[in-house]
Amino acid sequence: MEENKEVLLKVDHLCQYFSGFKAVDDVSFEIKKGEVFGLVGESGCGKTTTGRSIIKLYNITSGDIFFKGVRISAGVMSYRQDILKKKQDYKEKVAAGGNKEELKRELNAFIAEKKKLIKAAKNDQKNCDKEYAKKRIRELNETYTSLIEKAVGEEKERLQKEYKKELYKAKHTRLVTQIQMIFQDPIASLDPRLTVREIISEGLIIQGEKDKEVINKKVYEMLELVGLVPEHASRYPHEFSGGQRQRIGIARAIIMNPDLIIADEPVSALDVSVQAQVINLLNDLREKFGLTIMFIAHDLSVVKYFSDRIGVMYFGKLVELAPSDELFLNPLHPYTKSLLSAIPLPDPVYEKKRVRITYNPLAEHDYSVDQPSLREIKPGHFIHCNEAEFKKYQSELK
Amino acid sequence: MEKKLEVKDLVISFRTSNGKVQAVRNVSFDLLKGETLAIVGESGSGKSVTSKAILGILAGNSIIEGGEIIYDGKDLLKISEDEFHKIRGDKIAMVFQDPMSSLNPIVKIGRQLTEAMILKGKVRQRESRTNFNSYLKKLNQYMITAHSGNKTAAAITAQCKNFDKFEYKHLELEKAYNIAYEAANEAIAELESLVFELDKKVDKDISFRTEQVCSMAKKSCHTYVVKEKEQALLELVKDLRAKVKAEKKRKEYRDVIQIMNAMLDILKEAVALPQPNFFSMGYYLTYAKEPLPELPVEELNAFLRKYLDDNFMLEFISDAKTALLYTAEQSYAEQKKAIDLLKTNKEVFGRERLDKSECMAAYHSCVKQVMATVDPLAIVKDNLTYTFGVSLRSELNRYFAGFSKNKKEEARYKKQKAKWDRSFAKGKEPDWQVVPASYTDFEQIKTTIAAQFDRLIEHYEERIRLRTERDYDAETVAVIDYLKENASGVVEKVTKRVAKNKAIKLMEEVGIPEPRKRYNQYPFEFSGGMRQRIVIAIALAANPDILICDEPTTALDVTIQAQILELINKLKKERNISVIFITHDLGVVANMADRVAVMYAGKIVEYGTAQEIFYESAHPYTWALLSSMPDLDTNEKLDAIPGTPPNMIYPPVGDAFAARNKYALKIDFEKQPPMFRITDTHYAATWLLHPSAPKVEPPKSITSRIERMKAKNGRNEVEDGRE
Repeated sequence: MEENKEVLLKVDHLCQYFSGFKAVDDVSFEIKKGEVFGLVGESGCGKTTTGRSIIKLYNITSGDIFFKGVRISAGVMSYRQDILKKKQDYKEKVAAGGNKEELKRELNAFIAEKKKLIKAAKNDQKNCDKEYAKKRIRELNETYTSLIEKAVGEEKERLQKEYKKELYKAKHTRLVTQIQMIFQDPIASLDPRLTVREIISEGLIIQGEKDKEVINKKVYEMLELVGLVPEHASRYPHEFSGGQRQRIGIARAIIMNPDLIIADEPVSALDVSVQAQVINLLNDLREKFGLTIMFIAHDLSVVKYFSDRIGVMYFGKLVELAPSDELFLNPLHPYTKSLLSAIPLPDPVYEKKRVRITYNPLAEHDYSVDQPSLREIKPGHFIHCNEAEFKKYQSELK
Repeated sequence: MEKKLEVKDLVISFRTSNGKVQAVRNVSFDLLKGETLAIVGESGSGKSVTSKAILGILAGNSIIEGGEIIYDGKDLLKISEDEFHKIRGDKIAMVFQDPMSSLNPIVKIGRQLTEAMILKGKVRQRESRTNFNSYLKKLNQYMITAHSGNKTAAAITAQCKNFDKFEYKHLELEKAYNIAYEAANEAIAELESLVFELDKKVDKDISFRTEQVCSMAKKSCHTYVVKEKEQALLELVKDLRAKVKAEKKRKEYRDVIQIMNAMLDILKEAVALPQPNFFSMGYYLTYAKEPLPELPVEELNAFLRKYLDDNFMLEFISDAKTALLYTAEQSYAEQKKAIDLLKTNKEVFGRERLDKSECMAAYHSCVKQVMATVDPLAIVKDNLTYTFGVSLRSELNRYFAGFSKNKKEEARYKKQKAKWDRSFAKGKEPDWQVVPASYTDFEQIKTTIAAQFDRLIEHYEERIRLRTERDYDAETVAVIDYLKENASGVVEKVTKRVAKNKAIKLMEEVGIPEPRKRYNQYPFEFSGGMRQRIVIAIALAANPDILICDEPTTALDVTIQAQILELINKLKKERNISVIFITHDLGVVANMADRVAVMYAGKIVEYGTAQEIFYESAHPYTWALLSSMPDLDTNEKLDAIPGTPPNMIYPPVGDAFAARNKYALKIDFEKQPPMFRITDTHYAATWLLHPSAPKVEPPKSITSRIERMKAKNGRNEVEDGRE
């Protein structure tokens, strides 16, 4: 992986709890521009929740999500926990006979600082679009003012018009619309009462596009892009097969011209031959538009084929993160090993001999003394372990 | 190997508002005992329809146009619904695709598991009784007829009557032993996990679990399980309870682990002991009227065996063998007669135009003679003999009904065509098509009838040829086993409690942790993989012969999929059941299947052992399927199959796959290819195998994958695997 690529999405210590249940627990990763990031794990391990948290379908519990350098989502639980901890600390110190006045002052300062952070986080969570719009307007101002000053006559008028239009767009664009999602179930994710045209153009209309000609032109373009014909635009979803519906779902995502696509098991519900068609389509689109894709799936052969880097999740935790070839060549975490050993391949002789490794976290790890964290064992290869295991894995690598 | 199920020329279509969809077209395959047959294909290829036809649960708008599904001497397409009740779920069970929708959400898991057991329990008991009584009566009768010695008929009858008396005692003893034996095993498993967890210092409700272990250990005290060390074990149990209570606060479990290890030693030793023969023990206790001699288990077994043989078994076996020989000889004589009769009557059905009364007379005489060849003492029914009458009759009905049907069909076609022509003449292109007329093919029916005759004649000739090779000793043993099985069926009563115990055992067998707790939960409390296990457990509750799995792992993820597949494989081996496995994932097929049938557009296009399909596949569709899925080493662009499957309301004239086929020849669009034989087990329907076809190599992605795999597996082992 080239190091100099721009980081498009950064997930920092993301936690997503549902009334105490830790669906996603302290997950951090980065997605660089133009790459495909695969996320694998068994069902219920939190990979879909991670995707949905990124696209702000949930309010996250703790941690930050940065998209294009703007914080789009932030949780406050970690700050609150810090405050509680500090208070506890304070009580203990007072009981031990510390200087009450000084400690109190220190505590108050700490709390005030954290409260500020909480406020900032809440503000970002709510107003990230405004922040982004401000940033865009600033950028536009910079580029256009100099241009308009230089230009004369008709050129100036045209530029001013364009500037106004762009400003309008900048005020109304939302940052999160640049992340689009493709859903798992192509049957449930399309409204049965809308025509394909309505489904695909819905996002455009919400964004303020009113010209019917433009909308139609764009919809037809998208349909052709995903391998359907313009005549399909006036039909309803039930008239299509599963593969075609998934194509409609993809067209709906692409039309917003997104920078990041979160594909949540886009091929799991499809037939083998159609699976290949959809994967090829996604690959073509990726080459054409330079899309960045976060690919969530449980079929490891497909993920391996499609992704540049792969993260493995287990019960809400990211246990291993590596470039895909590296991950399949040197799997280090015992869970990754067990996952890889479960992949069925189209080869009877190999299958008869394949031994599945079972993963028992109790038997594998001893975290009673040293708590684990995500450590980089090799450039680009991260693993969730503690110090002792880190040494063990390092010796395994050699 | 014994054939469990045969499907021959199955044709099924669905009536829809747009026309008739031809879902299954001339599908034939057979299923051997204890093997897994995988049916692979895209959705809409007719694989699920075939399996539903086997289970008799086709949708209401289906039409079965022809073919046979033969199971246990019956044609499943022609038996009544009442008869089907005895087979469906009982002998042939199904695991459905979606574990979310195949369980009732408002009924507890336990109830759903035991429901069928309790319902079937009484029926089974009744059935076993009739089976047992009628078979014993028949055997008795032929023993008397065949017997040449000086034994009186009354003596033989009395001897036969002995058979079921001691069965009660036998089962009682066995049950007590099994309870103790299983308790010991459970205790071992639980103790091992407890020791492991205590060692790791994670203690979850230790006191409750130790209490359970203690009660299980107590249960395992039985004369043949834990006997000598019974006192020591009970001592240890007492110690363990006291120690756990004392350490509740301190949580220092070193002593506890020591005690547990001591218990483990005793229990493991006990489990390894040989099992006594309860069948002969039951006989001894019932008839000898003496207490059992004090002997070690192995010597005791020998002693009991000898007692049983001397007093009853040897004589019974020799008499039964004579009877079997006698009926078999009779049957052969009848078969010879039947061959002659069939040969003479065959010509009646070969005439230019069949005469109804003549045909019916011939039909009746043939069927009468064929049914006379049935060996009354044979346990495995001869499928061909039993189904001959039914299938001949249905072909004849089709033939004679065909005259009026053809007239009707022609009228309909003319009317529709005229309507189409009219609107076309007006300059409109109608959005519907004229459904071509489907006439009854009289010639084809006649060839089918001739084939039926030939098949039966050949079958009888072969049986007569092989008569010297029959092993009557083995057959006698099978007879005794059959009687034993039915006798235990009579004795076994399925009450709610028995069903519950059985259900819990099943849940354990399919790998559900804490089955006792889970028994009282609702389906929504289970995850997807667990639900699918429950569905499998329900399917296995009736102990079926054939298990049909319709995409059982498609909705599950890799690790759970691997577990479910391992489970199905394990159960298949343990119970020796046959499995029909329907899927579109070739990776799964490679894991499971002994043989593979690839289906496309309602037809089987390739058929062979797993090795042949994966390493030497011959049909372009199989190639396309294989190359459209990525494996771990794929880097190049995937060869997706272009387009979609054909609309089966208007099936293409030639090969259905031709339009999507890179290798299609001209003839593929004009004529359907027949099944070409490649080896004795490997067939494919593609014109590419015709001697005058151009030579075509399979796509590079497949050959290179096979080479890669061979290199991985080591060349020698691939060769071994093929043998």
